[in-house]
Amino acid sequence: MNSISFSRVSVRVAVDGSDAPKTLLSDISLDLAERRIGVIGANGSGKSTLLRLLNGLVEPSEGSVVVHGDDTVAAVRRVRSNVGFVFTDPLSQLVMPTGREDVELSLRRSIRNSKERAARAEAVLDRFGLLPLADQSIYELSGGERQLLALAAVLAVNPTVLVLDEPSTLLDLRNRELLRRTLAGLDQQVIMSTHDLDLALDMDRVLVVESGRIVFDGGAAEGVARYRALCAAAVDSATEDSAKEDCAAMDKRWLGGVQK
Amino acid sequence: MRGNSFLIANYVRGNSIIHRTPLWLKFLVVAACGTASFLIVDWSVSLVILAIMCGLFLLSGAGLRRLLRAIWIVTPILVVIGLFQWWQLGGPTAARIVLNVLVCVVAASVLTATTPVQELLDGVVAIARPFRRFGADPERFALTIAVMLRSIPFIAGAFSDVRDSARARGLERNPRALVLPVFITTVAYARQTGDALAARGLGEPDDAASGN
Repeated sequence: MNSISFSRVSVRVAVDGSDAPKTLLSDISLDLAERRIGVIGANGSGKSTLLRLLNGLVEPSEGSVVVHGDDTVAAVRRVRSNVGFVFTDPLSQLVMPTGREDVELSLRRSIRNSKERAARAEAVLDRFGLLPLADQSIYELSGGERQLLALAAVLAVNPTVLVLDEPSTLLDLRNRELLRRTLAGLDQQVIMSTHDLDLALDMDRVLVVESGRIVFDGGAAEGVARYRALCAAAVDSATEDSAKEDCAAMDKRWLGGVQK
Repeated sequence: MRGNSFLIANYVRGNSIIHRTPLWLKFLVVAACGTASFLIVDWSVSLVILAIMCGLFLLSGAGLRRLLRAIWIVTPILVVIGLFQWWQLGGPTAARIVLNVLVCVVAASVLTATTPVQELLDGVVAIARPFRRFGADPERFALTIAVMLRSIPFIAGAFSDVRDSARARGLERNPRALVLPVFITTVAYARQTGDALAARGLGEPDDAASGN
């Protein structure tokens, strides 16, 4: 029961001006039980869709996703109480003007008593070293502090799984290191998409996603190497195609000139 | 994104008499100011009420700067409204309408500057509780207020950003270059906020109402 399983999952979306839907993920079957799982792949490969399935933010067009025994469509509310989700941009996630208020907002459903709620929020902020910043506007915080705050607001309700969608993309090196250490110290199962290959190397297992399919599933070092090779091949192919197009255009111009 | 130009003042910690005033009384004062804005017909009465509200704001210790900022942000809109009303209905009516809007803005600022947001939301939940018998979820009322408080500064910030980029491209006089990007940014923000709330399980049906 204590794992996450994808059973023949496909996700398709309608596209404006086209009868055929676009396939974002195709026939994914997985069991995720490791403590730290990284998802890497190019932009638009389907990483975010894969992660959003875990929290019920995206529903499968085919197949099913089950988190700790709960189907993400049929029992979405229970799934969301178990799976915390951290977005790339913390500003799109933080709803309240200050950190203290945002963490308290997370706790509103679970703790009805306002004094108890305030005390719990303070404890959560203290745990992440954010107490001195608790009453500052979220706009006055640095990118790293905001991301840490978004993480604290999600962890305040004690989810068993933490999903992070490219959490280090907007961070500088120092804040990235801070996030890395914070994640390393968490008890939760962490599933994270990232372009930060150093962060990916910390994972117990890495999935490489390419054009909506899992093209590698295994150890971190091997996964990162496979991804690098895929990227190099894609760039080489694009350069070759571009060179071919340039040659064709030159031929056309030259032939056009000769014919005149 | 700037997004930090709050229309109404943020909570300022303190122990003034206004901070200690029960929430229901503060709600009542704001509601009374809103109602009075429809009933008052003399601009000098509006001016007196505005002076009282400004006095209460300063008494709370939130400071003159915050008060001026709350007023400053609505000034461009008030200038447009005032000039239009002056042209249509004359000076005294224009002054009354502008002063009445200011009364509402300052009264709301007194409430938000002296009440922690969570307490405000608890108050909204308490007021909305009777609607539970009609199937409404009081927590959703509170969440709506929270999202509204967050969205106003965001949209104001989006407008500032778009205006700056339009100016940089020499398009500051083109209304389409100003309105369309703000509209698109706002829709994108609404979608992101919806996703973020859903991901955090906020706005889900109440325990009592959910069979999940």
